[in-house]
Amino acid sequence: MAQPLVKKDDDRDDEAEYSPFLGIEKGAVLQEARVFNDPQLDPRRCSQVITKLLYLLNQGETFNKIEATEVFFSVTKLFQSRDIGLRRMVYLMIKELSPSADEVIIVTSSLMKDMNSKTDMYRANAIRVLCRITDGTLLTQIERYLKQAIVDKNPVVASAALVSGIHLLQTNPEIVKRWSNEVQEAVQSRAALVQFHALALLHQIRQNDRLAVSKLVTSLTRGTVRSPLAQCLLIRYTTQVIRESATNTQAGDRPFYDFLESCLRHKAEMVIFEAARAITELNGVTSRELTPAITVLQLFLSSSKPVLRFAAVRTLNKVAMTHPMAVTNCNIDMESLISDQNRSIATLAITTLLKTGNESSVDRLMKQITNFMSDIADEFKIVVVEAIRSLCLKFPLKYRALMNFLSNILREEGGFEYKKAIVDSIVILIRDIPEAKESGLLHLCEFIEDCEFTYLSTQILHFLGIEGPKTSDASKYIRYIYNRVHLENATVRAAAVSTLAKFGAMVDSLKPRIFVLLRRCLYDSDDEVRDRATLYLNTLGGDGAVVETDKDVKEFLFGSLDIPLNNLETSLKNYEPSEEPFDLDAVPKEVKSQPLAEKKAPGKKPTGLGAPPSGPTSTVDAYEKLLSSIPEFSEFGKLFKSSAPVELTEAETEYAVNVVKHIFDRHVVFQYNCTNTIPEQLLENVSVIVDASEAEEFSEVATKPLRSLPYDSPGQTFVAFEKPEGVPAVGKFSNMLRFIVKEVDPSTGEALDDGMEDDYQLEDLEVVAADYMMKVPVANFRNAWESIGPDFERVDEYGLGPRESLTEAVSAVISLLGMQPCEGTEVVPNNSRSHTCLLSGVFIGNVKVLVRLQFGVDGPKDIAMKLAVRSEDENVSDMIHEIVASG
Amino acid sequence: MILALLFANSEGNILVERFNGVPAEERLHWRSFLVKLGADNLKGVKNEELLVASHKSVYIVYTVLGDVSIFVVGKDEYDELALAEVIFSITSAVKDVCGKIPTERLFLDKYGKICLCLDEIVWKGLLENTERDRIRRLIRLKPPTEF
Repeated sequence: MAQPLVKKDDDRDDEAEYSPFLGIEKGAVLQEARVFNDPQLDPRRCSQVITKLLYLLNQGETFNKIEATEVFFSVTKLFQSRDIGLRRMVYLMIKELSPSADEVIIVTSSLMKDMNSKTDMYRANAIRVLCRITDGTLLTQIERYLKQAIVDKNPVVASAALVSGIHLLQTNPEIVKRWSNEVQEAVQSRAALVQFHALALLHQIRQNDRLAVSKLVTSLTRGTVRSPLAQCLLIRYTTQVIRESATNTQAGDRPFYDFLESCLRHKAEMVIFEAARAITELNGVTSRELTPAITVLQLFLSSSKPVLRFAAVRTLNKVAMTHPMAVTNCNIDMESLISDQNRSIATLAITTLLKTGNESSVDRLMKQITNFMSDIADEFKIVVVEAIRSLCLKFPLKYRALMNFLSNILREEGGFEYKKAIVDSIVILIRDIPEAKESGLLHLCEFIEDCEFTYLSTQILHFLGIEGPKTSDASKYIRYIYNRVHLENATVRAAAVSTLAKFGAMVDSLKPRIFVLLRRCLYDSDDEVRDRATLYLNTLGGDGAVVETDKDVKEFLFGSLDIPLNNLETSLKNYEPSEEPFDLDAVPKEVKSQPLAEKKAPGKKPTGLGAPPSGPTSTVDAYEKLLSSIPEFSEFGKLFKSSAPVELTEAETEYAVNVVKHIFDRHVVFQYNCTNTIPEQLLENVSVIVDASEAEEFSEVATKPLRSLPYDSPGQTFVAFEKPEGVPAVGKFSNMLRFIVKEVDPSTGEALDDGMEDDYQLEDLEVVAADYMMKVPVANFRNAWESIGPDFERVDEYGLGPRESLTEAVSAVISLLGMQPCEGTEVVPNNSRSHTCLLSGVFIGNVKVLVRLQFGVDGPKDIAMKLAVRSEDENVSDMIHEIVASG
Repeated sequence: MILALLFANSEGNILVERFNGVPAEERLHWRSFLVKLGADNLKGVKNEELLVASHKSVYIVYTVLGDVSIFVVGKDEYDELALAEVIFSITSAVKDVCGKIPTERLFLDKYGKICLCLDEIVWKGLLENTERDRIRRLIRLKPPTEF
């Protein structure tokens, strides 16, 4: 049949249908590989078969041991051919097959021959193959050739040996280290790539010898480096040297800075960028040092090359975290990147702008972001949402615009993680900015009207139940909640029932109507929903009349479960169905993992719904319950504050003890959490003998020993002291653990003897002024400062003497007072000569305190501080000054 | 370290896949991640225009050349700029071997030669050669001209 004449290249459809590897199969290719054994080799055909083998390997196909060995032996036969193209393929194939040690010997002699060949290219490739497949013993045999190759005049041979050296350094460092003279010579090579590879290898050989690296850098920064790649390496090594010789940072004569600065004028963009980044990452970089680097990065922002734009905006994004002011000059260029086609660049630009923007630019920025959000992927959106959350916390007055933005994007399409990030942000804003509460709650209500994620719906309903009843018009939320009972799945319906009950309990006027709604839920198709409705109808009481809800009921609805969930779970699992009902009181209350969890997350801020509002206080609640359940302490009144656990033993000792300080108005209780780590011992009658001779204002009033402390089951013993009311008494206490130790059979846990009394010395414990201060943040420091007024303001100045740095002085005063830093003022910008730090807290007796600290560097290292205190009580203001004066 | 080099056709099928220092169990994840990245972003992109992404400390530079998308993944010293250098060497070598912007068919026809080029450019995760002339000569076992 006649075919229309078509030029092959023009017929794209035909091309696409037919692939040279169509239907390729491993078994068939392995069969084909037998051509390698032909006495008359056909180089073209052999190359084709190798290509097929490579194709298979590149598709992730693997050969088993037998197959690999067979192919490898056949391939070695191809060394007989003089065809150059085939030889090149053979080299690659051997590397890909990476033969085992016992097979390598087959090719060693062929490769050794190539290594001494007159043809340079045989030498280079043989080196690469040999180094890939060799082991230590063979390496010593060829070492001599490799050393020669490093200084070979052919750059390909030299590079092959140098790159091999970099790989071999991992496996045979002692051999490669012997080549440093040759490598040193190669660093001076005129061939750019040889210099690059040699520099990388030389640095790796000497990386643990600081002096040698420093010398290398000194000599190279004075000379010329030809390759831009090598120059980049040199810049990296230089910054390493600068970091390690971190001296003379004050006077501005930082070593090698001039070199870095000169690299900003290099002709290769790669080098310019590397130098700019190096400068921005210098420790304690000054704005004078930073300026030229920022200028070149700013130029890169409008480069036509996406990679350069990305690199520049990524670096500026990092700089914005520490020096936001330095980056503001680039804001206009950055704003134009919001519409960049590459979404990674656009997102980085947005998040940088959100960091550097000031209060007045927020609205304009939000307008631009709105257009941008619709066409980026969820993972980028999450980054933006998080940036907006921090911006809102930074400028609380702008909450309206930012909250509206969040609620708008909440309505748009998006996956779970994205929606969760938005909801978390709204929750955090509601919690931290009181003014934002009502509008935020309404946004959440609207969201659950059309929320496809059960998890988010239930979490929001829970949050609504806690925050909704506290608002001025709680009734407006009921409609949204009750709609859930009609429209959602059982899990959400059950959560909605609980939320309704909370409104009924807290808002007496709503109670009759809530009762009507709850009664309707009694006919729900799901038993959990019905059970909850029945339970709440019975517990709320009053039969639907407008009466005040019992304190116990409120406690039941809102109080946190005073039992660790892990313990409850274990007990429930162990409970066997019987006549005897499950007894909640029998669940152990010892908090096993709690101290550990607290240690892991010091000062961690609650994040969104993951940690509901009761989250941070739940520890305090748990402590409060625990303490009030002990008759000896029940008269102490309300618990003011509990400290984080303080370790009184070293890690991994026989007995692990930490202590929590509980502060009451007139008392202090030490809770000693003890763990016995010896399986062969049972401790009984465990108590702590406290010597309070260095704490004059304290007198011991009660002690509660622990009856028994078996292996690996933590328990608590308590000691209580009385102290003068309202006085932040301080003192030092020495502690001795006293107990009766019994030997036990670890397998049965039975005691083998009557035991004997023993003591175990613990570390000392201090009660300090900060223990009487609760860290309570304020949303807007200036407003709070103004509203507390100057009536009880006390101002004084202090000399803090010589200090290591301003940062150190600031954090020392913060920890002395134990107050909450506000608005990020605990961070001191690098090289600042003065700093203002704002603190807030609540002092014992529930007195609100605000502190404004102004630090200044006075003389070479001396630091002076002006302390202004405002509080609701003049005695407290004076007391803060006393704490600082005596600290 | 250059962690991965990947070539895919326009439907997301793998043409070449080479990993360095990536555990076997993570490779499949990387493969699908890169293919998805390409499918999401490479539509309508001009030949050889570079796109960049970063994930934690890992950088990805990718582009399209005719019917073929090319991805390079690196970390540490192989940041976006170094990877741009790598991918530039790769695209110019591929164009040289194919004689023009490759169709999938042409790419597969020249598969063996392309493997040799990659072998010259990246050697077990390190950049070895960048110059296009030199690579063209090296795959034919010819010494470079300039020394």
